[in-house]
Amino acid sequence: MIKRIFDWLIQPLGLIAVGIGFLAVFSLAAYGINSTQLAPTQPIEFPHDKHVNASIQCLYCHPGAAKGPAAGIPAQSKCWGCHQQMEITETSELLAPLKEAVESNTPIKWVPVVMVPDFVQFNHRAHVAGGQNCENCHGDMTKVTVAENPQVFNMGFCLNCHIKSAGDDHEKLVKLTDCGTCHY
Amino acid sequence: MKTDLNMMGAKGAIVEEAEGKWGMVIDQDICTGCQACVAACAMENNISFVGEEDAGYGRTQHWIRIERFWEGEYPEVKMTPNQPMLCQQCGQAPCEPVCPVFATPHSNAEQLNLQVYNRCVGTRYCANNCPYQVRSFNWRDYHIDRFHANKVDGKSVYSFHNQFNPDVTVRRRGVMEKCTFCIQRIHKAQDTAKSEGREVVDGEFTTACAQACPANAITFGRVDDHESLVSQLSHQKGGVKHLEELNTLPRVTYLKGG
Repeated sequence: MIKRIFDWLIQPLGLIAVGIGFLAVFSLAAYGINSTQLAPTQPIEFPHDKHVNASIQCLYCHPGAAKGPAAGIPAQSKCWGCHQQMEITETSELLAPLKEAVESNTPIKWVPVVMVPDFVQFNHRAHVAGGQNCENCHGDMTKVTVAENPQVFNMGFCLNCHIKSAGDDHEKLVKLTDCGTCHY
Repeated sequence: MKTDLNMMGAKGAIVEEAEGKWGMVIDQDICTGCQACVAACAMENNISFVGEEDAGYGRTQHWIRIERFWEGEYPEVKMTPNQPMLCQQCGQAPCEPVCPVFATPHSNAEQLNLQVYNRCVGTRYCANNCPYQVRSFNWRDYHIDRFHANKVDGKSVYSFHNQFNPDVTVRRRGVMEKCTFCIQRIHKAQDTAKSEGREVVDGEFTTACAQACPANAITFGRVDDHESLVSQLSHQKGGVKHLEELNTLPRVTYLKGG
């Protein structure tokens, strides 16, 4: 039985079948891996690059990063504060959902892009106060339109930076490499 | 923690260096055994309610419990003071060296015994080696297990989903858990103090059990700071540390008969 299958496989038609089968599996895997790397679709294609290039600070829209654990996503009232004074808001098609949301007073359902892994407690405030810039973890926002996550947040990434920033300070190193600093 | 063995007596005498950082004093004379600390601890730390059936198997989950003992024979029975028992955050913890995956390391920064939930594989060796019996094991996913949910109008209602403390991990099935001395409160106090550019003040924050105690029987604070209330109370006469002869260097002092 096995010999008959093998005989069929080594003839030209069989080899082509093996090739197609291999390609199908490979492309499915490639598609699967690729789809995990794509940024999620947002209700509004928010261009981070335009806002950052207009010299708006990160902390203007995400003020929570300097105050507490979560950076936060701004409410539409904050968008509207600037956008109601701008002519483009009336004409642009991309901004129509914002206008609609403000008029009907329904919140925009933004999709979170960067997730802290399970079992980890993360505090933005300590990192901002410690002199870390936003782009150290979140990438250069002058080049992206819809927010994407350039960095895989795993323990190696965190610990590398913790060890580097502790330097020769032994007490700081103990604190920054302690399990209980992040996991509880 | 590295401890100089020359500084310890035969009974594991407490030395200054082995004092630790955070500590607790429990006054058994004013403890009424009202269980407020047990409830507060469960609320603060997302501890599951296991239900009647699993409680019958001895699978209850408490990070703090009130122990009761009796003295004397039947007609002359006398109750001894209530004894709240929680993780003693030992300086030399018997639970730590037995973990095969190093899921229960000792925190050098805070001098606490930690439990790293994502590293724990659930051998339960640590709980078996704990002389105080204060570790509890998650036998099920009590917060999502539909076979153990309460039913209201035919629909499953899971216990306290809406009041989980976001600062504490919700443990899943198969991991060990234990008292952390409310490490999330420690971190929050340290974070607030640092943002205001000062040190953590004694009495600025406390653990959930100490906060809930209506008789103020529990005091929490820095034991290495000799000005603090907890340090002064722990050096009182009549202060007892449980199972000190096992050389565990416990951080909780019990006051009795004062």
